[in-house]
Amino acid sequence: MVETVHATFQVYRFTPGVDSSPRYVSYEFDLPPHTPVLSALLKIRQEIDPTLAMRYSCRSSICGSCAMVINSKSRLACQTQIGPELARHGRIVIDPMRNQPVARDLIVDQKPFWHDYERIDPHLIADPAHPMPEGQPNPMTPEQVDRFYETPRCIACGACYSACPAKEADPEFPGPMALAKLYRFVVDPRDGATRERLLKIQPGGLWTCLRCHLCTAACPKDVRPSERIRDLKELAIAAQGVTEAGSRHAVAFKENIYERGLLNEGKLARQTLGLAGTAAQLPQAMRILRKKPELLKSPPKIEGLAEVRKIYEMLEDEERSG
Amino acid sequence: MKFAYYPGCVAQESGKELDMATRWVSRKLGIELVEFPKFSCCGSGFIDEANLTLNVALNARNLALAEAAGLDLLTVCSTCTGMLTLANVKLKDPKMRAKIDPVLQQIGTSYRGTTKVRHLLHVLTEEFPPAQLKALVTRPLTGLKVGAFYGCHLLRPAEEYPTEEPEDPRQFEDLITALGATPVYYRGRVMCCGFPILFVKEGTANHIAGRQIQDAKAHGADAMATPCPLCHISLDAYQNKAEHEVHQALDMPVFHLPQLVGLALGARPEELGLSRHLVSVDGALAKIGTVTVPA
Ligand code: FES
Repeated sequence: MVETVHATFQVYRFTPGVDSSPRYVSYEFDLPPHTPVLSALLKIRQEIDPTLAMRYSCRSSICGSCAMVINSKSRLACQTQIGPELARHGRIVIDPMRNQPVARDLIVDQKPFWHDYERIDPHLIADPAHPMPEGQPNPMTPEQVDRFYETPRCIACGACYSACPAKEADPEFPGPMALAKLYRFVVDPRDGATRERLLKIQPGGLWTCLRCHLCTAACPKDVRPSERIRDLKELAIAAQGVTEAGSRHAVAFKENIYERGLLNEGKLARQTLGLAGTAAQLPQAMRILRKKPELLKSPPKIEGLAEVRKIYEMLEDEERSG
Repeated sequence: MKFAYYPGCVAQESGKELDMATRWVSRKLGIELVEFPKFSCCGSGFIDEANLTLNVALNARNLALAEAAGLDLLTVCSTCTGMLTLANVKLKDPKMRAKIDPVLQQIGTSYRGTTKVRHLLHVLTEEFPPAQLKALVTRPLTGLKVGAFYGCHLLRPAEEYPTEEPEDPRQFEDLITALGATPVYYRGRVMCCGFPILFVKEGTANHIAGRQIQDAKAHGADAMATPCPLCHISLDAYQNKAEHEVHQALDMPVFHLPQLVGLALGARPEELGLSRHLVSVDGALAKIGTVTVPA
């Protein structure tokens, strides 16, 4: 006898243009705890309601079709077992992915996702100075492949895109998957368009990332998009210097710490925002200063600041006067 | 119980009330905080964007300072916790060690990797069983519905925190229960506060903060509480702007974690710096039968 658990599913149902609003339909079964959520949904479709719409194909975390929101987390339905979900939540609530319009039930219209992917030119662009050898392999060293071995694992399921709060708040942001893929081309030694790629993505693209790591938590293939985005930022600053508010902030922060070892909050705001930006912030600054007047003073230098400066001097290219 | 106290930058400046409350709670619970005036900034998720190796080296120095004294670090900021833990993780990679070790040698120190980074939330929940904490509560926060707001870097990336669920944690809620209050579960509790882009894309940042406060409010929260002073800036100091972005009056008091603990353990509001908040906490204090005092 296989051990079973009593499972309650609440499944999002909605057909735009037909239903006036979405609704949740409950289904209950006794199932073995290791049952994947996808199998439970298929059982609902086969035994109770053949009209339940969802995408799936491989049932083994390969095709990337079955991403959905399971108890509030963006996940592959074929990779999520019901047992742990029931143990923690007592029931399983299933929604379609976020940040894309619902086509029907658990199927979303992925046009925005693919459009954002196309924005990064997801193919190798040959360097005219080093054309790809015609009809021959163009090999890389293991060290070169090592730099991006995680990224090709991506199965484009869209779980990261669904989990991303920056995408939710700002439609201009391309989302984690596209940026992780971009990283892969930027560090590929066979690609000849690194600078152009970084230049193109920076305005509105790179610096909206919040580093919340929700994409990395959602990714079923451990591509770690948030870390690849961090890497892209460092590469962008190295290749092009400070061209955006985001890179200005990162570099200003780094310089700020060199001065006293701890942050000078008031000064950082002025450095990032510039004169006009600071002026625009004055009313807010006055509100905050009334409660927190110490923001006007420079904090003291830490003890051992010379050690901190020595670290900067050893690991940075810049000449410093200290 | 003794820790190397790592207050981080903000608790020493605009978030001084967090430092006050941490010291009060530590005294009350017998947690000894050892001062390290040599600690530098954790990098806050910004220095690593410009130079990851530099950021790891700076935190290797911080960790080495505590290590030399044989102490674990006690942090009170989700971002500090994340950045210092990130250094511990990155320094397991021999390639990173090969870059960092010679730098540390130049400043006369070394890193062995024995210092754990522990946030006050983890110390309170892992070292004090709920029953023990409950017994110390003199002003139960009965009737107060509190929405915990974790701060991303206390939860993710997941391998830095093997004991916590990166998208569905419970530690903070369990602590809120032990203090006599009622935790509120809402999606926003594990989401971003918007702080990282507050000076880059302010409207978007304010909007993101507003969404989380709205969510807490919609689920019935009387107040929010956070273990991160950066989240506190977004949620409290910029709440007026968040209200503007989400077109809703929010009026949501936001406590620092040790302020909430301090209130339950009997601290007077002025000992916790509660009058330094931008959004008044008076409504929440009235619920638990105490009042704030003017600054
Ligand atoms: S069905 Fe293919 S990944 Fe789930």
